[in-house]
Amino acid sequence: MFQKGRVTQLVLGLALSMPVALHAQTAVEPIEILTTTEAYDPIRYEGAYMIAEAWKELGLDVTVSPTEFSTLLGKFYDQQDFTVTIAGWSGRVDRLDPQFYLGTLNSANAVMGANNPGGYSNPEFDEVFEAQSREFDQAKRQELVHKLQEISAPDAPLAILFHRDEVVAYNKNNFENMNAMAGEALYSEWVPMEAKPLTDRTTLRYGGPQSPDNINPMLANTVWAWKWMRLYYDRLVRLTPDVEVKNWMAESVTAIDETTIEVKLREGLKFHDDMPVTSADIKFSYDYLVASDYGYFNSYLAALDSVEIVDDLTVRFHLNAPSAPFASITLSQISILPKHIWEKIENPMELAPADIPTVGSGPFKFNQYTLGEFMKLDKFEDHFHADEIAVDSVEFQIFADSEGVFTAVQTGQIDVTAWRMEAGQIPLAEANENLQVISVPDFGYYHLTYNTRKPHFDDVAFRRALTKAIDRERIVNVLLDGRGEPGSSVIAPVNAFWHNAFTERLDFDMDGAKADLEAAGYSWSSDGKLQK
Amino acid sequence: MISPALKEAFAPLRLMLQDRLAVVGLVVLTLIFCMALFAPLIAPQDPFAINEDEDGSVLMRTNDGWILQPSLGLVALNDTASRSGEDLIVGRKGSLWIRTADRWELTDVPVTADLNGIALTDAGAAIIVGSEGTLLLRNGSDWEVIATNLALSLNAVAWLDDTAALIVGEDETILRFDTTDNSLTPLVSPLNRGMALNAVALDIDGSALVVGERGVAMRYVPAAETIELVRLGSSRGLEDLHISPSGTALAIGERGTLIRRDGADGRWTVDKTPDSRGLMAGWINDEGKGFAVGRNGIVMERAPEQDWVLADTESERHLRTILVNDDGVLALGSDKFVIRFAPPSAQHWFGTDHLGRDLFSRSMYGSRIALLVGFLGATLVMIIGTNVGLVAGYYRGKTDTILMRTVDVMYGIPFEPFALILVLLFTPSLGIVILAVSLLTWRTTARLIRAQVLSLRERPFVKAARVAGASDLRIMYLHILPNVMPLVFLELAITVGVAIIAEATLSFLGLGPPQSVSWGGILHDARLSGAWRTAWWWNLPPGIFIMMTVLSVFFISRSLELVANPRLRARK
Amino acid sequence: MRNSGYLIRRFLQALLALFIIATLLFFLFRLGLPDPTAVLVSEGLSPEQRADVRRQFGLDLPLWNQYLIFLQNTVTGDFGTSFHYRAPVSEIIWERLGNTLVLMLAAIFVSYGIGVPLGAWLSWRRGTSADSWGIFFGLMFRSAPMFWTGMIAILVFGVWLEWLPTSGMRTLPYEASGFWDKILTLDFLHHLILPAMIVAMFYLGSPLLIMRNTMLEVYGEDFIEMARAKGLPERSVLFRHAARNALLPVVTQLAVTIGLAAGGQVVVEVVFSWPGLGREILNAVRTSDFPLAQACFLIMATFVIFLNLLVDILYSTLDPRVRLS
Repeated sequence: MFQKGRVTQLVLGLALSMPVALHAQTAVEPIEILTTTEAYDPIRYEGAYMIAEAWKELGLDVTVSPTEFSTLLGKFYDQQDFTVTIAGWSGRVDRLDPQFYLGTLNSANAVMGANNPGGYSNPEFDEVFEAQSREFDQAKRQELVHKLQEISAPDAPLAILFHRDEVVAYNKNNFENMNAMAGEALYSEWVPMEAKPLTDRTTLRYGGPQSPDNINPMLANTVWAWKWMRLYYDRLVRLTPDVEVKNWMAESVTAIDETTIEVKLREGLKFHDDMPVTSADIKFSYDYLVASDYGYFNSYLAALDSVEIVDDLTVRFHLNAPSAPFASITLSQISILPKHIWEKIENPMELAPADIPTVGSGPFKFNQYTLGEFMKLDKFEDHFHADEIAVDSVEFQIFADSEGVFTAVQTGQIDVTAWRMEAGQIPLAEANENLQVISVPDFGYYHLTYNTRKPHFDDVAFRRALTKAIDRERIVNVLLDGRGEPGSSVIAPVNAFWHNAFTERLDFDMDGAKADLEAAGYSWSSDGKLQK
Repeated sequence: MISPALKEAFAPLRLMLQDRLAVVGLVVLTLIFCMALFAPLIAPQDPFAINEDEDGSVLMRTNDGWILQPSLGLVALNDTASRSGEDLIVGRKGSLWIRTADRWELTDVPVTADLNGIALTDAGAAIIVGSEGTLLLRNGSDWEVIATNLALSLNAVAWLDDTAALIVGEDETILRFDTTDNSLTPLVSPLNRGMALNAVALDIDGSALVVGERGVAMRYVPAAETIELVRLGSSRGLEDLHISPSGTALAIGERGTLIRRDGADGRWTVDKTPDSRGLMAGWINDEGKGFAVGRNGIVMERAPEQDWVLADTESERHLRTILVNDDGVLALGSDKFVIRFAPPSAQHWFGTDHLGRDLFSRSMYGSRIALLVGFLGATLVMIIGTNVGLVAGYYRGKTDTILMRTVDVMYGIPFEPFALILVLLFTPSLGIVILAVSLLTWRTTARLIRAQVLSLRERPFVKAARVAGASDLRIMYLHILPNVMPLVFLELAITVGVAIIAEATLSFLGLGPPQSVSWGGILHDARLSGAWRTAWWWNLPPGIFIMMTVLSVFFISRSLELVANPRLRARK
Repeated sequence: MRNSGYLIRRFLQALLALFIIATLLFFLFRLGLPDPTAVLVSEGLSPEQRADVRRQFGLDLPLWNQYLIFLQNTVTGDFGTSFHYRAPVSEIIWERLGNTLVLMLAAIFVSYGIGVPLGAWLSWRRGTSADSWGIFFGLMFRSAPMFWTGMIAILVFGVWLEWLPTSGMRTLPYEASGFWDKILTLDFLHHLILPAMIVAMFYLGSPLLIMRNTMLEVYGEDFIEMARAKGLPERSVLFRHAARNALLPVVTQLAVTIGLAAGGQVVVEVVFSWPGLGREILNAVRTSDFPLAQACFLIMATFVIFLNLLVDILYSTLDPRVRLS
C-alpha cells in the first residue's frame, strides 16, 4: 500500500572510508549480453535490452547479442565464451530435490561443457554441498540447503531473474478434477489418472508444440519424451502433486541402513502383455541402464552400487555412499522395463523406430505414435490403480507452435494445453466460457550468469552492483504481465521446504549499485564511463 | 557515349507518366519514401518506448463485474479509510481525496510526499503516513505535520484506541503515536532483519497485528508493551491485513497469497488462490465474505464458505486498496501500468502492442527497413546478376557453362533455411538479411540478362564494333549494356518488390535484425504474442503497408516492361 | 548425335552441381553450426554423457572420415539417422516431402488452372477496364506476403466463421495406413483448402501476366495476322492459334515453380501448422540435426536442378527457334 524507498547512506559512508586509488584507472571493458532470439523467447530477449539499459546507466558499454538457441548453448556451456548470458532451467519434478540446481554452483561443474559455466567457485559452498547430498535426515539436510543459499546469495554468481508462471487452460465442460502441479502444470503424471470426464467422451486430449524426440526408453533424451513415457512405464514410487513420495509399484521402501534400501513390490503387478512383474524385472531395469551408454539418468544412478534380488517381490539397492535423493528421485524416475522383452535386444540404442518395444506396466498402455503428429495411450485395466482412473484413453496432439495449440483448445479440438500459453492468449482464454485458466508457479528459473573468469566479473562487488541494477520486478510486471516472480535463489520460493526466504536478495537499487561500485574502488570518467 | 545510355534511362520515366497505374505506383512509393525519411518527425513516439500511465483509477463493483469509473487525478491512490458520512483516499504526491455528498474533492495537505496509509476513528480522528517519514494528523479541517525525523517510508497506520496509533514502515520501523502529547515512541522489532512492514490492523483483543515482507508477522500488545513474532503460515511477502469487527481476518500478499482466519479464535489458513499475481489489498467481513485486489486489475471475491474466484474486471490497472461502505465497493489504484493491446485511439492511431508500444510509430519506422532492404538488396542483385549475365552471354562456351551451372546451384538452395544458416553462422543483422536476399535472387536476373545478351551479341552493331577493334569490355559495357538497360530496370523494379517480401518473410520468421522495427517484425510479434486473433489493429496495418509498397513497385515495373518490350503496348 | 551428347553433358553437370551443394553443406554444417548435443545440457547431461551421445552420432570421427561415410551413404540413398528423432532420415523425409508436394501441387494446379485462361482472356480484352482490374488483382495478390494473408484467412474463415480448420492436415486423431490413405479423404481436402488457396492466390499473378503478355506478343506475329486475314473468327484465332503458341513461357514458368515446390513455402507451413519439408528443414538446422538437414537440402536441390534441366530441354523441343548449343 506504499512505495518502497531506499536507504543508501550507509554504503556511501563506507565509500568515503576507502583508500583513494592513486594510479590512473582504465575503463571497464564492454559487456556483451548473450540472450535468445526474439522468436525463441521474447521475454529473455526484451529482458536483455532492459538490463542493458540499466547497466548503461552505471557507465558501462553494453551490447546485446540475440543468438540462435543452439549457438547460445554452445557458447555458454561448451566454449564458456561469454561474459554474461541469459539462460534458463526448466522445472522438472525431479528437480524439486535441491541437488540439481545447487549443483550448478558447485565448482566441480565448472569444467567445459558442464552446467556451471559461470565458473562460480567457493570452497565453503562445495563442502556444504557435499555434506547435504550425503545427509539422510530431512531436517538436517534442509538446514544445510538453506545454508548453501545463504552462502551463495551475497556472492552474486548469477542473478536469478524470475520464475515464470506456467499459465495453461483446460476445457471445463469436458473434464473436472484437474489439479495442477508446480513445474508440470496440467501435463503431470497425475492429471490423466485423476481427471473426471463430464461428457460421454472419456478420452483426455492434450495438445502441445513439443514432441518427444523418440519413444525408446533407452535413447530418449528430452523431458518431453519422458513426460509421455512415464504414463505407460511404471516406477517404484511416484512423487505426488505435493511432492511427497508415494509408494507406487512398491508396497514398502525401507532403509535397512545408510547404504541399503529394500523395496517390496505389490502383489499381482502385470506388464501390458500379461506377464507378471517380479523383482527380476526391477534388477534388470536398473542394471540394464547402468550397463548401457544411455546417459540421461546417470546422475540418478551414480550412487547405485548393485541391485540384489531377495525374493520374487523384494529387491535391495546397495549404494556406494549414502545418497539423500536416491529413495525419492531415483526410484521415482527410473522406469521398470519388462526383462523378457528387453533382454533379447542386443543394441537398444540402434532399434529401428518400428521395433521399439512399448510394453510397460504403467496405468496406461501404448496405442499409437505418429511421428511429429499424434500419440495415444489406453487405460490399462489390469493396473492396480485402474479403478481410480476415470478416463479410457489419453491423447497428445503435436502442433507447430503455441498458436496452433491455442486455436485447438479454443475450438475444442483438444481439452488441455500441455505447455504455457503466450501473454496475448491468456485474456482470450479467460474470456472463453468453455475454458478454465490455471496459473501454476514454476520452480525452474531464468538466470543471468556472469562469467566469473572474466575481468571485473571476478570481483564480487562488481557482480553485486550489476545485480542490484537489474529491476527484476519491472521485468516481471512488464514482460510477464505480473505472471511470475522476481528470483532470489536457485531454489524457488514455491519449493517452500528447501527455499530459504531470508537470503540476501540484492533488490533493485540503482543508487545502491553506484555506491557499491564506488566503495569497491570504481570511478567514473568525465564522460560518465565506469573505470577502475 | 554516355548520353544514349542516359536517354535510355529516361525513356522509362516518360512512358511511366502515360500509364495511370504507374503514376499511382509512383505517388504511393514517394509517400512511403517520405514516411521512411521523415519517420522520426511523423512518428509521435520512439518505436521502442513502452507506454505507461499513472492514474487515480476507480473501479466500482456492479452486478456486471467491476466497472471503471472516471478517474481521480493523475496519480495513484494508495489507501482509504471510511466512517459513516466520510470517506478518505490518500495517494501519491500528497494527494488526499475526501468524499462528501457523493463528490470526491481534492483536499490540500501541507506535504508533497507519497501518502501510503490512512486511519480514521469513528470519532473522526485521522492520521496519514507516507514516504520520507511523513506523518499527518487531522486538526479540525486542517492537517498538521508531525516531525518524525525519519527518512524512510512509513507504510501503514492503525488506531489502537482513540488517542494512540501504531505506525509501521520500512526497515522494521514500528512507532507508537499518542495524540495526547503528539509523542512518537519507537518500538524495537523482535526480528531485526531490516524487513519492510507493510500493514497493521487492530485485532479484537486490543492488540495490533503487523505484517510485512517475506511473510513476517508480529503482534503488539499495548497493555504489556511487547511485540512478539507470530506465524501466519507463509513466507510470501504480505501487503495488507484486514480484521472484521468479530475477528475474521484476511492477510494478502505477493503471488496471490490469501491467508484467512475464521473468527477471533480461528487458525490462520492459506486459501487456494485463483491467480498467482500479486495482491495489494484485502477486505473481509464477519461472515467471511471477502474481496482482494491486486496487480493487473485482479479482483478476487469470496462468498462465505466458498473458494476465492476471479471477478470480471476489464483493466490492466494495478489496484492498491479497497473501499467498502454502505454505498458499495470500490477498488482503487493505479500506479504505473502498461497500456497493452489498446485499440486505436486519438493517442495511439494504430493502437498498442503487447508491451504497450505505439504501433503507428512502429509502422512508420518499419518502412525504413523495407525500403532499405528492398532497394539496397535489389541494387546488389542487379550488379551481380547483370554482370554475370553479360559475361556469360557474351563469352559463351566454358565461361557460360560455369556461370550458368553456378546459377543452377543457387537455384538449388531454398531461401528461408539458407537465411537461417547465415544467421547461425554469423549473428542476425541487417547485413545478413540483405546478403540472404541478394545471394538468392541474382540467379533469375542473370539468366534473363544472359538470354538477352545472347541475341544482342549477334546484332550488326556489335559485329561492327568488334570489327572496329573494340575490346571485349568496351563492347560489353558500352554497346551491349545500354541495350539491356530497359530489362535491367524492369528486373530492378520487380526485384525490389521481391526483396521487400523476402525481408518481411525473414522478419516474420524471427530471423530479422534484432531491435529493429520492420513490418514483418511487427507481424511476428503479433503472432508470437497470440493476440493477433483479436488485435486486428496490430495485424492489418503492417500487412497493408507491405502490400501497398510492393504493389506500387510492381505498377512501376509494368510500365518499365512496356519499355523493355514495346510489343506489349496496347494498340488503340 | 549432338543432342544426346548435350543431354548427357547437362545431366553430368547437374550431378556435379548436386555434389558441390552436398559438399558445401556438409562442411558448412559441421564447421559452422553449433554442437548438436549442446541442447542436452539443459536436460542435465554431463560432458561425459554428451561425449557418449556424440559418439553415437558418429561425430567423434575425423571430419574427412565422416565426409567419406556421408558420400558413401548418399550415393546409396541412405541419408543416415536423424540426431533428433533417432529414426532413419529417409522415413521422415519422404513423408514430409509428400505433405509439402501435395499442398504445393494443389496450389499450383489452381493458380495455373485459373491464371492461364484468365490471362488469355485479358489479353483479348486488352486496354479495357477488365484488363486493368485483372492486372491490378493479379499484382495485388502477388504483393501481399503469404504469412499475412494466411493469418487473415485463419482469422476470418477459421476463428470468426469457423468454416474451415486452421492447422494440420487431418483432424486428429486419425488412422491411416499410408500416405495415400491419409490424403484421399474429404477431411484432408477440408484442411487443404485454406493453405492451398493462400499459396494459389500468391502464385496466380505470374501465369496470368505471363500468359497475357505473351499473347500480346504473339498477336503481333505474322501467322496471326495471316489467320486474321483468312477471316477466321477472333475466338478461334485467340484459342486455336495464339494461345497454343503463347503457352511455352507459361510452361517454362510452371516447371520452374514445380521445381521450387519441394522447398515449399515455409511461412505457409508455419502459419498453418502444415507438417511439411520446409518446417522440418528449419527445425533441423536450428537443432543442428545434420543428417536430416542435409537430406532436406539435397532433395530440394535435386528437384530444382532437374526440373530446370527439364525446362531447358522442353524449350528446345517445343520452340524450334531455340537451338541447343
